Amino acid sequence: MTDIAATAPADLHGHAHAHDDHDDKPGFFVRWFMSTNHKDIGTLYLLFAIVAGIIGGALSGMMRLELAEAGIQYLPGWASMLGGESTDTAGKHFWNVMITAHGLIMVFFMVMPAMIGGFGNWFVPLMIGAPDMAFPRMNNVSFWLTFVAFLLLVGSMFVPGGAGGLGAGTGWTVYAPLSTSGSTGPAVDMAIFSLHLAGAASILGAINFITTIFNMRAPGMTLHKMPLFVWSVLVTAFLLLLALPVLAAAITMLLADRNFGAAFFDAAGGGDPVLYQHLFWFFGHPEVYIMILPGFGIVSQIVATFSRKPVFGYLGMAYAMVAIGVVGFVVWAHHMFTVGMSVNLKMYFTAATMVIAVPTGIKIFSWLATMWGGSISFKTPMVWSLGFIFMFTVGGVTGVVLANGGVDQNLHDTYYVVAHFHYVLSLGAVFALFAGFYYWLPKMSGRMYSEFLGQLHFWVFFVGVNVMFFPQHFLGQQGMPRRYPDYTAAYEYWHNISSWGYAIMAVGMLFFFLNMAYTFLLGKQAGDNPWGEGATTLEWTLSSPPPFHQFNTLPKIS
Amino acid sequence: MTSLAQRIDPRIRTAFSAAALAAGMVGLGFASVPLYDLFCRVTGFGGTTMKATEAQANTAAAQQTGRVVSVRFDSNVRNGLPWSFRPERPRETLSVGARDMMIFIAKNESSVPVTGTATFNVTPSAAGRHFSKIQCFCFTEQTLQPGQEMRMPVVYFVNPAMLDDPNARDIQEITLSYTFFPVDEAPAGS
Amino acid sequence: MTIMKRLFLAVMFAMTPVAVAAAAPAAPVATATAAPVAAPADAAATAPADAATTATAAPAADAAAAPTFEYARPVDGVGQPVPGGWDFQPQVTETGRYAHWLNNVVLLPLMTIVSLIVLGLMLWIVARYRAKANPVPSKTTHNTMIEVIWTLVPVFILVGIAVPSIDLLAKQYAPPPADAVTVKVTGYQWYWGYEYPDHSVPEIISRMLPEEQAVARGEPYQLAVDNRMVVPVNRTVKLIVTGADVIHSWAMPAFWTKMDAVPGRLNEVTFKADQIGVYYGQCSELCGIDHGFMPIAVEVVSEADFARWVASRGGTMPGAAAPAAAPAAAGAAPAAPQAPAAAPTDTPAAPATAS
Ligand SMILES: [Cu+2]
Repeated sequence: MTDIAATAPADLHGHAHAHDDHDDKPGFFVRWFMSTNHKDIGTLYLLFAIVAGIIGGALSGMMRLELAEAGIQYLPGWASMLGGESTDTAGKHFWNVMITAHGLIMVFFMVMPAMIGGFGNWFVPLMIGAPDMAFPRMNNVSFWLTFVAFLLLVGSMFVPGGAGGLGAGTGWTVYAPLSTSGSTGPAVDMAIFSLHLAGAASILGAINFITTIFNMRAPGMTLHKMPLFVWSVLVTAFLLLLALPVLAAAITMLLADRNFGAAFFDAAGGGDPVLYQHLFWFFGHPEVYIMILPGFGIVSQIVATFSRKPVFGYLGMAYAMVAIGVVGFVVWAHHMFTVGMSVNLKMYFTAATMVIAVPTGIKIFSWLATMWGGSISFKTPMVWSLGFIFMFTVGGVTGVVLANGGVDQNLHDTYYVVAHFHYVLSLGAVFALFAGFYYWLPKMSGRMYSEFLGQLHFWVFFVGVNVMFFPQHFLGQQGMPRRYPDYTAAYEYWHNISSWGYAIMAVGMLFFFLNMAYTFLLGKQAGDNPWGEGATTLEWTLSSPPPFHQFNTLPKIS
Repeated sequence: MTSLAQRIDPRIRTAFSAAALAAGMVGLGFASVPLYDLFCRVTGFGGTTMKATEAQANTAAAQQTGRVVSVRFDSNVRNGLPWSFRPERPRETLSVGARDMMIFIAKNESSVPVTGTATFNVTPSAAGRHFSKIQCFCFTEQTLQPGQEMRMPVVYFVNPAMLDDPNARDIQEITLSYTFFPVDEAPAGS
Repeated sequence: MTIMKRLFLAVMFAMTPVAVAAAAPAAPVATATAAPVAAPADAAATAPADAATTATAAPAADAAAAPTFEYARPVDGVGQPVPGGWDFQPQVTETGRYAHWLNNVVLLPLMTIVSLIVLGLMLWIVARYRAKANPVPSKTTHNTMIEVIWTLVPVFILVGIAVPSIDLLAKQYAPPPADAVTVKVTGYQWYWGYEYPDHSVPEIISRMLPEEQAVARGEPYQLAVDNRMVVPVNRTVKLIVTGADVIHSWAMPAFWTKMDAVPGRLNEVTFKADQIGVYYGQCSELCGIDHGFMPIAVEVVSEADFARWVASRGGTMPGAAAPAAAPAAAGAAPAAPQAPAAAPTDTPAAPATAS
């Protein structure tokens, strides 16, 4: 393997290789396809997540376009463009395919690969002073499994999914019996197999992170000295390890029901479709924290850096994440309040769910306290983090509303829920992703992004997503159910505004891509530490980009 | 990896522990099927009814207080099973603790023999643990010849313990629902 | 239960006196709905809406002999969404008003306050501790007191929320009285079936009306159906809900009611509408291609109109007929989910296998 990475831009920008290919070229295939370097794999994950994010984002753009006005305008045409029929039925089926693909892509192929695969791979070893991940080859396997999983999922949109259309139209929850007897054709099988692969990849990744963090910390780097981002990845890895196997079991049983005449979730054979929901949400609820906890970690690093102050209440912050992870495993049935459960069970899940607000509150107040007394500079990563803190709060409090089983009886499966989880994910997790991306981009690429474009990106995106998602609370309160390709005229007002919000958000993304182009074409060289004395974690002691192999002599942490 | 056999690297140990944890969770995922079933049968979760012996029925009968409860019978036929299926009467009023019997009548309306099997539950779900069946056709396969009619008895009682359960004591009516499905794929004639 | 509510109010009041006062201007939603908010306590007194009453009064005149029944016209803004509306639909059940109160008077102001406190603190910190205003950062990283406070205060607030929340659940789960009207609801791909086992009304198939027909009837397209579920006012209605093929969910926003229709299993949910009128809902569990096109319409009518409707459907009021006459309880005979709906006689009558 080459000893040192070639010049900076090559690290992050797959297309921009031309100028320095000469010394890298023989190794190109080995370097990017058989990579065992945690930074290269992290880069692959980030690029992959960006591509998946573009596809998932384009899907949401298509959905917002269709929903901008009452009536079905585009669906049959889109269905035929992708190889299906141009009928009303095929169009409606294609709608279900889009909501399914958007959900699965954003969860499994955008947020998770970016947070854990991208930033986790890049910075966990750097932050704990390790030369690489514990199992570099397994790391590579994880990435390519994720990649193949993504191809399978995208491919499933082009094979018959029953109901006269192509693709799996089951929703990302893949509830039986819609996903079993309700969907013929190979599309759902492909989607399920895709989840298997993505799940296996994440489990391998989780094992890798746990092993790395437990065994490869530099001397003096005790667990209680680890940066909070590492803590967040550690907790996340445990959530992955405990939650994903249950999903794997559940969807394996789905496959058996579909193809081998089993009846795990089929009432006709003595099974229970509600059991599938229990299993799915036993995974699905921790999955929410899998997506957001690394974001907590990223924001903690950034807030401390730009306040030039250590994190306030470090131990409280670390153990709040542990608490969120633990409690996250015993609240799952709040996703199924209307499935027909006894009052005692509903009371329990109501109370247990609200408990999560406590450690979450600790985190939010600790971030504020970290800034309190600080000397704050509002660089792009910090602005995204501030946006994260407020938007996550808004998404969090609507979560408290939905936690009330009695209130949820009206709001369940309405746009209020859509608004809620987009506030915590699209405005929460995604804000954290952008925060982390701008924060570490100089480290990863060796170049500075444009501060102006970064700020512009933030403000336009911020306005866009709020215009898009805030009115969806109103739609939900008015009774608009989710997963509908069309609606009665009264809902048009807010749907239309929501779609304009998407357009604004899309303009914001334009500035992001412009900024990336700027960074790699014109970006100034970033020093080892462009953020100053507030940036105290180990990655800032290395060059930007870091050497291909770092910490050949382990750093000593006092 | 080559050193695996020579000494146990702590990393390998951690990795295997983690992998074992994941494997255990896979096992738990599959084990949830029988566990869930057991859980339902023990707690009446989701309106799962209880099984009772003659002796238990007699004990319950001795504890009658005069409180009456109505029991509604609901019947469904799904997935194209060419049967008619209904209770002899749509509802029954009985004393809590008293034993009663309801006949469900199934008839094969097609011209070929058809096998069916039934699922069941009671509502409200809080009533499940108090609704005891002494005899029933719960989930046994039934084959009916063309035109054949079968009378299937359910012998049951409502446990007086219901009157001590704060979530169930005000229940005025319990609905016992059966759904018959065809065994095997789409039977002929539908 | 009123004790619980009072206890809760006392707790909330003691905890955030200032906050509650500040809430009114901060949360427009709270003030705007002040009127319905007062309702839950003395809900029983609420009179049926005038408009709806007059709408159904007309057909009542010639009801002498032939059992005729005409559907009422919906009233704008009742039982359906309104353009630009942001609040919940007006609630016509007591539990609905209670839940609406819980959301708009307790949860929403509280959540708004929390969000504004976070935002306000953040903006203040941003102004006060920006690098220019505060060039030298402090090194404070601990303050046990404040950490205990921001752990315990949310705990108290959540306990405060839990009190009415649990109370609401208890009310929603109150067992229906013995005289409740039972309606068997079956979700099909992609329409609903309503059967009245105690009224000998066999399953009525309810499908979405095409646009022209909906418009002609003065109903909102995609909410209007051909055959509505009709229930009497001020009577507890017990729905027993199941699914025929995949999971559906029967939802009625104006009643604060939603229940999944799961194949092979029966669920039960109740509501007691206290205002005559037409109310719309929609299937709320993804069920395939036409998930968005199997709306739900409930018409709440007077007892007399209900009897007339039952008669028009060929049924009998309980007690009015010999109980053994028509055991219409079954989803009898080969269910034909794809049958072209229309007439209520669509479902084959129970075969005459007298026992
Ligand atoms: Cu449906």
